[in-house]
Amino acid sequence: MTQKRWYAVVYMFGVTAFFSSMIIGLARVTAERVHANEQLALERAVLTALGQAQGKTNAEIHRMFVEEFEPMPGDNSFKWVKDGTVVGYAVGIAGKGFWAPIAGIIGLKPDRRTVTGIAFYEQNETPGLGAEITKPAFRRQFEGLELAPGPQPISIRPYGAQLDKNAVHAISGATQTCMRLEVLINEDLRQWLEGPAEEAGK
Amino acid sequence: MSPNGAPAGRQIIIDGLWHNNPVFRQVLGICSTLAVTNLVLNTLVMCAALTLVLAASCLTVSLLRRFTPRNIRMMVQTLIIAFYVIIVDTSLKGYWPEMSTALGPYVGLIITNCIIMGRCEAFAGTSEPIPAMIDGFFNGLGYSVLLLAIALPRELLGMGSILGIPMPYFSTGWDRWIIMVMPPGAFFMLAVFVWICRSIKPRQETAQ
Repeated sequence: MTQKRWYAVVYMFGVTAFFSSMIIGLARVTAERVHANEQLALERAVLTALGQAQGKTNAEIHRMFVEEFEPMPGDNSFKWVKDGTVVGYAVGIAGKGFWAPIAGIIGLKPDRRTVTGIAFYEQNETPGLGAEITKPAFRRQFEGLELAPGPQPISIRPYGAQLDKNAVHAISGATQTCMRLEVLINEDLRQWLEGPAEEAGK
Repeated sequence: MSPNGAPAGRQIIIDGLWHNNPVFRQVLGICSTLAVTNLVLNTLVMCAALTLVLAASCLTVSLLRRFTPRNIRMMVQTLIIAFYVIIVDTSLKGYWPEMSTALGPYVGLIITNCIIMGRCEAFAGTSEPIPAMIDGFFNGLGYSVLLLAIALPRELLGMGSILGIPMPYFSTGWDRWIIMVMPPGAFFMLAVFVWICRSIKPRQETAQ
């Protein structure tokens, strides 16, 4: 019977249906956990960008995020409010990387000009090259930058180039990742800076 | 594996670990050997995942071997392997997200690891379920031993640590060989270990 042509087709359908339904079942069971993990990665990125995540456990991060952060217009952007005053902003940045989407957070001081840091919660760039954007050596460069007015708040310059107050060095060997990162950071920063301007006066 | 008849349990184990070691004998699974061995922890998780997937796939392929038409057997094998890989991947995403991020695409790439398809085709497809599972498990272990042997010196010489724990001397007085944790380091270490292991083998054969 196993030699019949219809048997092969029916068998393949049967086997596929069986294994697929088991996987769907498992995905259902873990969906909530996976979602919670993604949310926590975002919360950790927000606090890291504002220099607040160091030495904190997941539970502490979640508590601080829930208590002190308010969502703002713009994807995944938040206002850090302490005792009624705004002490910082977390601006969501997202866009296409070289291989896959990159998503992260840029932290700003209440003056909306000084950068406190940057952190990524989603990326799939080449390990050792593009993925180095998540390493402290690259991220530390953003601390203390001052956004430039105009279309290019932040610029990523080739290694060795003279740097202005709004510029960082790119990663050698990861030109594509850095170019795309510069584009996505500037697009989202610009949008955010233009967006809730009237709200800032409140 | 002995050429005639089904090999006994002990023979399967020794074959998988040494005589027929997937990495330095069958030269399978080299891509992941090169990719994940720069940190011992990543290597450990990768090895555990691969061994699990390999043993489970071999068992399942063997269980289904009488019902599977020969002309579509490789499709069925790929489906079974992908099934177990997705289970491992989903479980890591749910219960160990840090490791899931660290291993990135490599877990998914277990599907294409040639060791699994190789063992399913060469052994599990024609053997009883239990020997097939033992064969898969010990081939996985043989792969793991060599991967760890490569990962230990790479992390030690390149980062001065093992499992992320700084080692005496290597974390302080040692001038780190960064190249060891970069891709070329993997080629160097793999070549050295294949050379060492293959040099030991002929003497054993004459002894037998």
